[in-house]
Amino acid sequence: MNPRQAVRPIDRTPNRSEYQASIMISRLRRAAISVLFLVILSFSTYAQNYPVETITILTHSRPGGGSDVFLRELSRYLTPKLGANIIVKNVTGGSGAAAIAELSRAKPDGSKFYATTPTFIYTSLLSQPAYTYKDVEPLVNLFFDPELIYTAADSSFQSLEDVLDKARSSRGLWGAANPGSLERQSLEQLKLATGLNAAVISHEGGGDLMINVLNRTLDIGVGEAQELQSQLAAGRLRVLATFSDARLSQFPNIPTVHELGYEVIVRKFRGIAAPKGLTTDLIIQWEQAIQTVLENPEYKASYLADSLLLNYINHSEYQGFIDEFASETEDYLRTVGIIE
Amino acid sequence: MDALLSSLANLEFYLALAAVLGVAWGIVGGALPGISPSITMALLLPFTYALEPSMAIVLLASTYVGAEYGGSIPAILIRTPGTNAAAAAVIDGYEMNRQGKAGLALGISLYSGVIGSLIGLLALVLLSEPLAKLALAFTPPAYFALGILGLSVIVSLSGESLVKGLIAALLGLMISTIGTDPVSGISRFTFGFSDLLSGIQPILIMVGLFAMSELLKQASTQDEVRVKTAPRIQFPDNALKKRLILPQSIGALFGGFEGVMPGAGGTIASFMSYNEAKRWSKSKHEFGKGSPEGIAAPETANNTVAETSLIPLLSFGIPGSNSTAILLGGFLIHGLIPGPMLFSRSGEIVGDLYAGLLIAAIALLFIGITIMPACIWLVNRPRPYLNAFILALIMSGIYSINNSLFELSVVLVAGIIGYFMRLLKFPFLPTVLGLVLGFMIESNFRRSLLLSGDELSIFVSDRISLVLLSVAGLFIIGSLAKRLLQTLIGNSEKQLPSSAES
Repeated sequence: MNPRQAVRPIDRTPNRSEYQASIMISRLRRAAISVLFLVILSFSTYAQNYPVETITILTHSRPGGGSDVFLRELSRYLTPKLGANIIVKNVTGGSGAAAIAELSRAKPDGSKFYATTPTFIYTSLLSQPAYTYKDVEPLVNLFFDPELIYTAADSSFQSLEDVLDKARSSRGLWGAANPGSLERQSLEQLKLATGLNAAVISHEGGGDLMINVLNRTLDIGVGEAQELQSQLAAGRLRVLATFSDARLSQFPNIPTVHELGYEVIVRKFRGIAAPKGLTTDLIIQWEQAIQTVLENPEYKASYLADSLLLNYINHSEYQGFIDEFASETEDYLRTVGIIE
Repeated sequence: MDALLSSLANLEFYLALAAVLGVAWGIVGGALPGISPSITMALLLPFTYALEPSMAIVLLASTYVGAEYGGSIPAILIRTPGTNAAAAAVIDGYEMNRQGKAGLALGISLYSGVIGSLIGLLALVLLSEPLAKLALAFTPPAYFALGILGLSVIVSLSGESLVKGLIAALLGLMISTIGTDPVSGISRFTFGFSDLLSGIQPILIMVGLFAMSELLKQASTQDEVRVKTAPRIQFPDNALKKRLILPQSIGALFGGFEGVMPGAGGTIASFMSYNEAKRWSKSKHEFGKGSPEGIAAPETANNTVAETSLIPLLSFGIPGSNSTAILLGGFLIHGLIPGPMLFSRSGEIVGDLYAGLLIAAIALLFIGITIMPACIWLVNRPRPYLNAFILALIMSGIYSINNSLFELSVVLVAGIIGYFMRLLKFPFLPTVLGLVLGFMIESNFRRSLLLSGDELSIFVSDRISLVLLSVAGLFIIGSLAKRLLQTLIGNSEKQLPSSAES
């Protein structure tokens, strides 16, 4: 056994499962090679052979922020699968610029990664930092965070159409969390798609925005399901529509903006990026480990509770996804005049 | 109240331990220049994963309480506010220190901090519901008016020259426009530096203005004969305690209200209460020259804020400041979602939090007394050693936040600007106020105009905004009239102390 396993964190299960796997391997050695056998064998070899002892995953999110909580939860399950300790490091400077720079300069030896969110595209486009999303390699995607349109429970808006009607007859007041955010982009795109007269007002974070929806200064706000959970449970907010490409399992009666006839779909992604030049071995190791973790029932329960939408994208397709997302965002930023 | 009492009745040892450890850690973090309460809490957050939920929450909340107090220690001893909110305590605290009364200044600050914590806790336990309603009533025009009310203090904080005060305030307002535009998202005055994207942190400018400029000044002057401080913390006697009741009430009142308002934070509360304590004081002339009241008011205010800022977090799940955002993270890690359902779903956690905060307030007193002699001993060392130590402390403190050399250079540049401001007798406090309030005023002004479709009448039609703006107007007119009167009468007795002092 690998001596590293002696200092592994509390979770004992992996040792046991690997032990069982090795027993199975010895029993099956003489038997015909089955597909199952191959998978287990390849997995256990990879788990034993991760090239470094400690993996650092960077995030631009501060401790307790969205990406931070997501990473720490993920690393609990990922550690035994990769066979290396995972450390989450918060590199908060420059809205992601510092984290991207640190990753770009790191060796592609499997020791350093970065948790991607649309922020890393936004910062790259908005501030032209020395290192951008083009200097790193998107590895895999795990989730999309669904963005919901919500209003105060005591407002008169019962559907998205009511909100749009108000914008038709007078002037819509729509709120987004931050000026340079996907939430604002989604509302600006809805405004373009409907051609209506609405002010899209950005705030200093989701909490600030929610107060102005709750006190009915604004008609609607846009936010992630997790932020709204408590207010929804207390019956103070009402969800009107979602920007996802399909209805959400927790909100089966809430229509998507797309099905209401407006061509706006928002994909707030959560994934992992690596320094450029990662070996194929490492890429396969990560793809397999992530896929196994995503199927873990315990982890599934945890991410479903956080309203994350499973959306696995493997390495070969992730680069294309990121590039497409970036060019869409760049177009939008140019259209509204944020960048020249 | 029931929740608090039942938690106290079944208090477990580990909760008390968490509260005590949190306060101790918080004081250390708050006392280190540049390490804000939120960073102190953030450093602790990873360790709370393995803890029980109640223990984790109490640990983090107690850290916040300790850090808000800790900020006043370097403010008094080395003229460096450890936290944003401690900037107001620099004025009279450091002055008392120079007069050899550091022990008493620290005693007043500790005593006021404990009182502020207890009053804040009482408001948190008893008045959560009405105060939460108040927070909800604050719309963008109201926040704009609140910011203007905060700025109106400049007129009386400007010292001898109002024009110099206004120039200093403008400098602060200008610095606050650096970074991402709050409404359109365009980068402003960043000159291609990604370090400037999220703006310049007020604490960097404050450390530069106050501490660096002090070091520069001391390096450029002959050794002044320093009054040595007895290395003992000294609590106010009964006569002084009585005198402090008014400034402490003012501090608790401002702290109690401002804590509730997301985004307003402890800095406005401590400055406003300093200003009001001065206005209502019987010995106004002492302010700026080492007035005990000038420490008591802001220090009560910022510790009250540490408690009441939990109200919007617990009742709406909305963090009003960086510190409460970290605390929100602490809740989320343990699968607890603060907000309207928290009380019914996890009432016992809320009870434990209240009990923990009560223990934290008491622990603050004892830990404060214990560590103070060491702090006073430190500042009684010979000047050259002390200054070298302060420089190293500031530099390493600032560098450790983001490992950023850029932020160190901001502090240095601010120090040089501060040095010249002192030479030319410009006051610092208006700069600090402009810096802290500029972003809030600008973003809410523009947000209000977006809401109203560019109608300025929104500031009058919003009732809270109307009231706050009227009060600000009265302050300004009143202070201006007083200045004018003094000039006309030719009052040679300088009633308005310069906050920039010599």
